[in-house]
Amino acid sequence: MPEVKMPDLGEGITSATVSMWYFSEGDSVSRDDDLVELVTDKATFNMPSPVSGRLTKILVNEGDVADIGTALAIIE
Amino acid sequence: MQPSWLKRQIILDSGVDITNRVIKEFGLNTVCYSARCPNIFECFSKKRATFLILGNCCSRNCGFCSIARGRPQAVDEEEPSKIAEALLLLGLRRVVITSVTRDDMADGGSGHFKKTIETIRRVVGRDISIEVLVPDFRGADKAIARVIEAGPDIFGHNIETVPGLYAGIRPFSDYARSIGVLRRVKQICPTMATKSSLMLGLGETESEVVSVMKDLRQASCDMLALGQYLRPSPAQVEVREFLSPQAFLRFKEIAYSLGFKDVQSAPLVRSSYREG
Repeated sequence: MPEVKMPDLGEGITSATVSMWYFSEGDSVSRDDDLVELVTDKATFNMPSPVSGRLTKILVNEGDVADIGTALAIIE
Repeated sequence: MQPSWLKRQIILDSGVDITNRVIKEFGLNTVCYSARCPNIFECFSKKRATFLILGNCCSRNCGFCSIARGRPQAVDEEEPSKIAEALLLLGLRRVVITSVTRDDMADGGSGHFKKTIETIRRVVGRDISIEVLVPDFRGADKAIARVIEAGPDIFGHNIETVPGLYAGIRPFSDYARSIGVLRRVKQICPTMATKSSLMLGLGETESEVVSVMKDLRQASCDMLALGQYLRPSPAQVEVREFLSPQAFLRFKEIAYSLGFKDVQSAPLVRSSYREG
């Protein structure tokens, strides 16, 4: 199952906040579309979708914190 | 919530993968990663990195910086050749080398800077552009001269902030000493390009910034970089102000009018960052 994972965002950063999803569950997304906005203490990032497909499951809700490396969503 | 102009794009491409892999394979430190730089994806995607030499533990405790303060590590004598090999693999024609401060070392780490520059020149080629961003070496003439002797293309030393904020931001450093480092470079080698950087948004006033620019020009500093201070974690000092991109443009004009030859000024400019 193709999971979208929280990327490594710098030394000592163990987690980041999912601040906004640009798509809803069920939407089709294309590779490189901005998928989710991530916030660390230092910076705000847009993360692109690594693949094209259907966003079947959002695993971390807006406002929640997720550890580096954990799955944020599933795109099939 | 940060202003929208500070938002960066995560890039998931082969450039980022390769850069990460090469850095990890050689066990190198980069300020990009250690300082949690928001531009890391853009730069790594272009296979650009700023190497942090002399370990990743600093002997000073600056209020803006997330690099750990602690017991200094033994210097890796192989580090210069590892960096040179990494540069070859990444195909870089331009590199920035910086370091933690090493007040524990008799030469402040200047010998290691020299060795790193010389090794890169020998292994990668004479024509690679090497910029160094050095600590203040406690103002030691010999240390400054040693780095110059190795022939970097750009000699950088960062002022970081206005003198009135040094107590909170650079408590173990000295404004006049840092200006003096840049002045000394030009006295030793008038043709050496010198560069300095400031973080804005720490509570400084516009006139204080202009006054620092004038001090830098009096020390014949050639290049200036201005960027927005971003707090790496709650352990560092707070951002007092987010300056607009227009405010950075205004400072850029002022800097050019004061005679700087090269000015980078924008919210996401860092001392080793170049657009394009």
